[in-house]
Amino acid sequence: MPPRIGSSSSLPKKLLNCLDTTLPSSVPSSVPLRRPVTAALTASQQCLFSTSAPREATKPQRLFREWLKTSGKKFQHHDGNGPLYIGRLTDEGEENRTMPFPSNPAYVSEPVLSDAARETIWECVMVNKMPLKAVSAQFSVDIRRIAAVLRMKEIEKRMEAANMQMAIPYANTVEKMLPRVNLTKNERPFEPINDIHVHSYTMQQLFVPVSESREFTRSDAAKAFGGHILPPDSKMRIPELITLEKDIAKGVEPRVAERKFIAATAKHEAEFARRLKIESIKEEQNKIRVNSSRNVEFRFEKVNVDDVGRDGRARSGVGWRYGVPFNDRRRGAVKIPTSVE
Amino acid sequence: MRQRRLLRFHSLKRGRVRQTWNKHNLFNLLNYRNQLNTGRTLFQQKWAAKSVTRAYHGEHISEGKWERMFSRRLLSAVDMAPAYMARHDGSEQAAGRGSGKILSEDQERFVPRNGRGRDAKKMTPYMQMTFAPQERRLDVAIHRAMFASSARQARQFVIHGAVTVNGKKMKYPGYMLNPGDLFQVNPDRVMTATGLPKPPTLAARQKALKVKAQERAEQAAAAAEAAADETPASPSPKPSSPPKAKEPAEPISPEEAKKQEIAELRKIQDKTKWLISSSKGQLSAKHKIAIRSLQKQVKKAMSAAGTQKGDKSVDTVESLSTLLVTLQLTPVERKAEEAAAAAAAAETESYPDPVTEEEQDILRRLIEEEKTNPWDPSKPYMTPWRPRPFMAPFAFIPRYLEVNHKICAAVYLRHPVARPGKTEVPTPFNYATSQLAFNWYLRRS
Repeated sequence: MPPRIGSSSSLPKKLLNCLDTTLPSSVPSSVPLRRPVTAALTASQQCLFSTSAPREATKPQRLFREWLKTSGKKFQHHDGNGPLYIGRLTDEGEENRTMPFPSNPAYVSEPVLSDAARETIWECVMVNKMPLKAVSAQFSVDIRRIAAVLRMKEIEKRMEAANMQMAIPYANTVEKMLPRVNLTKNERPFEPINDIHVHSYTMQQLFVPVSESREFTRSDAAKAFGGHILPPDSKMRIPELITLEKDIAKGVEPRVAERKFIAATAKHEAEFARRLKIESIKEEQNKIRVNSSRNVEFRFEKVNVDDVGRDGRARSGVGWRYGVPFNDRRRGAVKIPTSVE
Repeated sequence: MRQRRLLRFHSLKRGRVRQTWNKHNLFNLLNYRNQLNTGRTLFQQKWAAKSVTRAYHGEHISEGKWERMFSRRLLSAVDMAPAYMARHDGSEQAAGRGSGKILSEDQERFVPRNGRGRDAKKMTPYMQMTFAPQERRLDVAIHRAMFASSARQARQFVIHGAVTVNGKKMKYPGYMLNPGDLFQVNPDRVMTATGLPKPPTLAARQKALKVKAQERAEQAAAAAEAAADETPASPSPKPSSPPKAKEPAEPISPEEAKKQEIAELRKIQDKTKWLISSSKGQLSAKHKIAIRSLQKQVKKAMSAAGTQKGDKSVDTVESLSTLLVTLQLTPVERKAEEAAAAAAAAETESYPDPVTEEEQDILRRLIEEEKTNPWDPSKPYMTPWRPRPFMAPFAFIPRYLEVNHKICAAVYLRHPVARPGKTEVPTPFNYATSQLAFNWYLRRS
């Protein structure tokens, strides 16, 4: 243990003398004035309990603070004039302002549908009763996106009618930050509507010997890749568009061809609705509804007891079976649902 | 403690790019330089690529979980133009010596050889799709839809029960969205995540005010109780309370008094019911609890009045009705009343100077803004709502989502795909780095 400084020791006194700002010249030079002590002097004005000097900023910290004051300042507050990304200089020397990630030119911030555009789509379908496929073709918006827009617009309108809370200032701000389209006539097509998924079977190189005189078409190519591969023509989301283009190529007047296209899509939609209705009626016929006295409706469905399979664990089986334990509590069993209806 | 961890997470020295909207992260993203692979073994290159990409993609997902999620099948799509497909059956691509005839530039412009537009010749960046399976996760999708400022915050929203999928509460951040799934986040959470935070002093002041008001209310209640105890026989109803209890001017029979009392209580009960139904979604939890307890008290009082006879019950009616009045005054309602009064005052007042049209426009806009973005101290974020700083450089919506920001809902349309020259997975890394990371994860299978 190092010797302690007793009360009679002169050292503290000397230290106290040192701390005195009006230092007399007669102080013995045995107590050197070292840096920490002087640092404590300045720091003691702000922080009475600490005698150590504040840590200096590291180089990255300094650079960061400098950046905040100079070129980083423009990112702090958005002025409401369109998107503001980091961007990058392209090979031609122009600044690409659609890239949020300077190292990745393959990802660009693509425009979204503005609120006005979504309202237009909703009106076309719900007010003007246009078929979904026709709306999709008219605005060049994916049919799944059209369905999503309609679904959320309906929720929005319901919430508005019920006077529920909505994030309107947030939505207005975000819309100003994003590139957006209004679906007017002069804009470029919004997105590909007839794109097809690339099947992994078609990603390999094949050598198929065919005679020179043979016309080797798309459907022949599909067959060559595998028996179950469909040709692109039957994978199209809106095959009616091909008919429309064929008519135009044959010399039919565009307006007439378009009318034919709309009629064809409307017919397809009606057929789909009819099939859905038939299905729901069939399902209803399989059910027996019984109203009880307690405002409760019981629905009985016919099930097959053999659906559970030999081990009683088949997915389509109904009910709990005696002697067959659940394994949903077993260690490592995943409880996260795979779908929500 | 929290601050320390955040600083380490966004360390300027290590310079990791993360999935957040933090300003330090923006600085790191700006200064990110592609990995240099010279003088490194292939293993070192892959290791470095894996660690730098995983710091961004699902840093909160454990490595084992991600390895199970990883898929070597990378999805892509090609655009087929109907105009091309109507005019060609594909045999022209095998014409000539087997790989199609050489077209002049003009011809090619008129009929593109494969009908796929101008990006057709670009390479499809498959390797940038390495982390595509993660985009299916609910928490990542919430962050991508701009409902949360980081993937971790999105995860917290899910765990805290603020997110629904197809209208049902989903508490698993690892839920893999299926095409067509609609997810919705509580607007208050979104506004808190994306808005300016309340300054701590203001929040503290409001909390102190709340405590003081509560104390005062308690004191008043105690005083009222004491007064009621002192004069149980002769209650003095306040004239200000709306459901006025009638002063017994002449002695009435106890039966009649009981009837009157029950009628009064029923009125109060009806009013509480109306209060709950009319202000759905506006009441705070505390408020709701108070109203419910009031309802219970009324019920009790009614049953008591029905069985026993006594004069004490008159003042129970009184106290319950005053309690109801205080409960009715939510901050929203008070504000609405004030606004109505102000509007009435403005109508009666005559303008001394004519207001120019410009000024009128500004005024109208301000009034409109006040309507949609009001000052409301009960909110957990700063009101009127303003976006948080450094938000714009991170504002983008990938194409596989369709978002409605007004209702804070989004639909997962389909799985992300690569197209010629484009990827739908937002990743800050270059092709080579992603490729190395992809190759790292290939080792498992």
